[in-house]
Amino acid sequence: MATNTASQAPTSTWSYVGGSATEAPVHENPEWEKARQALASISKSQSSTKTSPANRTSSQAGQYPTAVTDTSAMQQQQYYQWYQQNQQQYASYAYPYNYYYPMPPYAAGYPPSQYGVPGAYQPPTTPTGQPPAMAMMDEQSSYTSEPQPPPPAVPQPPPQSPTSSDQPPPPPPPPIPPLPNAQYPPPPSQTPYNPNGALPYSPTETSPMRGYNHGQPRLAYQGYQPPSYQQQAVGQGLYGAAGRGDANKKPNNTNMNKGQQLWNRMKQAPGTGAVKFNIPKRPYVLANQNFTTGEQTTSAATTIATPVSSVTTATTAGASQTGPQDWPQAMKEYVQRCFTACETEEDKDRTEKVLKEILQSRLQDGSAFTIDWTREPLPEVKPRQSRWEVVPQRSQENTIGRGGASRGRAGARLGNYRNVFSQRSPSSSSSRSSSRSPSPHNRHRDRSRHRRSDSGSQSDSSMSSDLRPLSRRQQRAGRGRGEDRDRGRGAAGERGRGRGGKANRGRRNMDDLGSGVGKKRKGGNAGMDFHDPNREAKKQSRAARFHTNKRTEPLVLNINAVELPNGTQEGLSWEDCPIVGTCQDITKNYLRLTCAPDPATVRPVPVLRKSLTAVKAHWKSNQDYQYACEQMKSVRQDLTVQGVRTDFTVEVYETHARIALEKGDHEEFNQCQTQLKALYKDCPSSNIGEFTAYRLLYYIFTKNSGDLTTELVYLTPELREDECVSHALALRAAWALGNFHRFFQLYKCAPRMAAYLIDKFVERERKLALRAILKTFRPSVPVEYVQSSLAFPCLDTCVAFLTGLGVTFAPSDPSKIDCKASSACLTSS
Amino acid sequence: KQGCPVLNWHGIQNWHGTSLSSPEDKCQQVLEPPYDEMVAAHLRCTYAVANHDFVEAYKCQTVVVQYPSLGGTFQAHKEENWALPVMFAVTLDLRIFANNAEQQLLKKGKGKVGDMLEKAAEQLMSCFRVCASDNRAGIDDSKKWGMLFLVNQLFKIYFKINKLHLCKPLIRAIDSSNLKDDYSMAQRVTYKYYVGRKAMFDSDFKLAEDYLSFSFQHSHRSCQRNKRLILIYLLPVKMLLGHMPTNQLLRKYDLLQFADVTKAVSEGNLLLLNEALTKHETFFIRCGIFLILEKLKIITYRNLFKKVYHLLKTHQLPLDAFLVALKMMQVEEVDIDEVQCILANLIYMGHIKGYISHQHQKLVVSKQNPFPPLSSVS
Repeated sequence: MATNTASQAPTSTWSYVGGSATEAPVHENPEWEKARQALASISKSQSSTKTSPANRTSSQAGQYPTAVTDTSAMQQQQYYQWYQQNQQQYASYAYPYNYYYPMPPYAAGYPPSQYGVPGAYQPPTTPTGQPPAMAMMDEQSSYTSEPQPPPPAVPQPPPQSPTSSDQPPPPPPPPIPPLPNAQYPPPPSQTPYNPNGALPYSPTETSPMRGYNHGQPRLAYQGYQPPSYQQQAVGQGLYGAAGRGDANKKPNNTNMNKGQQLWNRMKQAPGTGAVKFNIPKRPYVLANQNFTTGEQTTSAATTIATPVSSVTTATTAGASQTGPQDWPQAMKEYVQRCFTACETEEDKDRTEKVLKEILQSRLQDGSAFTIDWTREPLPEVKPRQSRWEVVPQRSQENTIGRGGASRGRAGARLGNYRNVFSQRSPSSSSSRSSSRSPSPHNRHRDRSRHRRSDSGSQSDSSMSSDLRPLSRRQQRAGRGRGEDRDRGRGAAGERGRGRGGKANRGRRNMDDLGSGVGKKRKGGNAGMDFHDPNREAKKQSRAARFHTNKRTEPLVLNINAVELPNGTQEGLSWEDCPIVGTCQDITKNYLRLTCAPDPATVRPVPVLRKSLTAVKAHWKSNQDYQYACEQMKSVRQDLTVQGVRTDFTVEVYETHARIALEKGDHEEFNQCQTQLKALYKDCPSSNIGEFTAYRLLYYIFTKNSGDLTTELVYLTPELREDECVSHALALRAAWALGNFHRFFQLYKCAPRMAAYLIDKFVERERKLALRAILKTFRPSVPVEYVQSSLAFPCLDTCVAFLTGLGVTFAPSDPSKIDCKASSACLTSS
Repeated sequence: KQGCPVLNWHGIQNWHGTSLSSPEDKCQQVLEPPYDEMVAAHLRCTYAVANHDFVEAYKCQTVVVQYPSLGGTFQAHKEENWALPVMFAVTLDLRIFANNAEQQLLKKGKGKVGDMLEKAAEQLMSCFRVCASDNRAGIDDSKKWGMLFLVNQLFKIYFKINKLHLCKPLIRAIDSSNLKDDYSMAQRVTYKYYVGRKAMFDSDFKLAEDYLSFSFQHSHRSCQRNKRLILIYLLPVKMLLGHMPTNQLLRKYDLLQFADVTKAVSEGNLLLLNEALTKHETFFIRCGIFLILEKLKIITYRNLFKKVYHLLKTHQLPLDAFLVALKMMQVEEVDIDEVQCILANLIYMGHIKGYISHQHQKLVVSKQNPFPPLSSVS
């Protein structure tokens, strides 16, 4: 699921946002005002936050531009207008308003009255939220300050934050916000928000704000998780609310004063502690959201702070603000996942600790930005797992109980998600470095959505979506459309909106209904279900079926990296980088080249000519093969290095081949032959026949009939006329037919140095022939006949050869071989 | 999940018309990571082929084949072998492109004969290893079903570049496989064809006859061209074993080059044989059977000498008689020693039952069946 949604999510969110933004302004205004009024008292604290707006604007602006790139920019522009209008209208509240807009779907869907009840839940938060939002901001900021990077991070925790994020951008620089919305919807919300809110607020009002937000949420919470909540509230609003906040709290507390400093640090080194906070916050947010449903009414201010916060209220907003923008989105999501996986406050606490360590180390060594968080295993907190198992049942119960509703919701949920994301995205946009890659964002969104929905709607919808393929599909379809911008964004966007709106409505109703404590619990359970790590995995695998993880980086085919065989590859041959040697030494020791040749040690061709004659003379007089071979090799090397392929090169190789042949140096001879074969194509020499014959003879030696055949194919009639070649061919024919008589006749008259080659296999052929002779002649055969037939130079050598094989001579006449008696010895040998 | 890539793969065919020179983006949008690169490379490849740039096509195809060969994706499909058809298609293309690329390079005067194909063979080998090492999957899902196809492709390359010795391990792998008789008939026919050819070059004519006969009999009726190819190797082997083809068969498969050879061998007409071999030398050499056909000379000697024997109607044949016969056949520079040599070979190989009395310069042949039928020899 996550993966699937992730990819598609961006577009869908976009569409959604757009819709929400447009609609929202109109509908929400009233709500807003309510919220303002409600929060008015609280908002006072915001004054401090106001400073933040400016900051936000700048920061947001920066973020936005980056975000702008998306194709959805068009839509964004539309939003833009909306935003601007909104801003104008709400000049003072500008941010909150804008943020809210993401929420608009609710507003649009639900009349004010509805809001009042269920809406208390979300709508109220949005409207009231704005003024309070400021307060929230402060609070959040304070929170954030605690965490250090928190400001940005904090916003994240509340899934709603996205919406909030949207809002913030608009106020300061309206134009900017639209962009963020369009592209960034998911992440941006957090980031923009965070920076703005966090920076200004964090230092100032951590405690008061918290009290504020928490107080409201608490009510709801208490039913739910009284203890944890209280703690959070006491300690530091957002975190406390989350309950998982312990870890956060600690850092916060410690950092409270230093918050900004840390923050800065964080920015510099994105990896450090700040990240941790952000992540935890997200999960909090989810949790918070659940709570917030109840709380929202109270926390209107919070909602304002983070437009999304409608649900989460101040706590969420705070979180969003605090969140370090620099964290990779994927990491944030990871943290969120970790927390969603937590069933109880204990788990959360534990997770938090573990996460802290993990994240800190990751951030410090920078791996946080490189590793694939989506694949990172959730930290293991042992006690939890047993719970996991239990949890699922609950979830099922929920789903069953509400089955009908859930279905409807599933679709709705998507809408919500989108909204949330869209809203968030602007804020998250602030999280610059963290994760701009689309895929991670998407994934995040999806997850966050789920959680959020769970928390908000008490997880029924989420459950339903998971459990019911149908609902899922619907969602997917919606997303998919949204995603494919190319195909028809507009349509997709509209659809998305419509659904979203419905979904929202449905959700709201549900939420409203479920506003009771009991419901909250359910929601909590549901949330737990969601949190189940296994479930996530399953979801992903299921999603993978339809959706696949698309490559995040541009696909580059490294076709040119494909190695072509030597000689075909450009630049590899010596001819492409000619060197002209300057060395004047006539003799030079051969050293295998291990690096690029140095011209100073390479001899030019004229010197090499002298070298060749010198080597030849030396060879004739001394027959020192070692010396000759080394000299020849160095000459060959110099020629190769300089890419010289001329008649002289041929001469050098021919010379070396002959010397090697004379001394029976196979290796060198073959090297030379290979080179000569290639060289003859360019520089035919008069000796071409000679060496072709040698090659044929060599194939006979190796009994390579395949190569022999190919060689025959390339024999031109002229070549066949060549003395050496014709001799070799005749020899081959005799050899092939076992005509040893003819074979040895030819051996005796071998031209040039062919005899040296035939020497290599003459023994072998003699044995074969002898075997035939011994089998054929009866009762005996004279040694003389064998000697003449097998071309032994003299009788003695023949006898030596025969005795060496253990041949038996006729007892009566030693000059005759007893064939019958001898035939055994050869067959065995 | 399983069908998706394949479907996509085939779906891609539709894109072939669109001349995409850089399809990476599209593929990236549509397909998940391993496959997007694969398909993108494939598309590039088709583009290159359309431009007759086989070197480029080969490079692209190399990228495509990396997936099966490097093991990553393909090997990761534990206990699944649905990708085999894809691998077949891809590897077949790789071989063809390598071949064409080499031709192109050679025309430009670059590269060495066989280099490209050798590289391609390396890739095929790594595919083969992946398939051959799939020991855990059940028979039905085993990637071993891909072995024979790859072996056949490798055979084609090895035969082309004359690296027959490289076939040995492949043959051993297939021989030891328990699936060897369950592969598709097409693959088995191909396999036996190449193994038969190899056996022929190794002078194991009995085995060669078995294999080549199998593939000749089992190749599809409509595959006249394949049957002809098989016959080109089956005929010499059969003749060496004493089975002469009818003119009708030769005519049916347009192999009348063999007609004179057949006639000369069965008549013991050495002269005619030499003429026939010379006349169609190019054809025979190109088919790689010249050296085999040359061995028919031995059979021809046998038949010739058999005639001498029948003429003289004695068991003690003077060597001079054979010398006369050979001279009649216009064999150059023949002397009595060579006659002895030739006879020695025939006796040694079992074509003649008898012995030579050097002292009396006579060939003494067995009274019973001195010239045993060829099929019983060797």
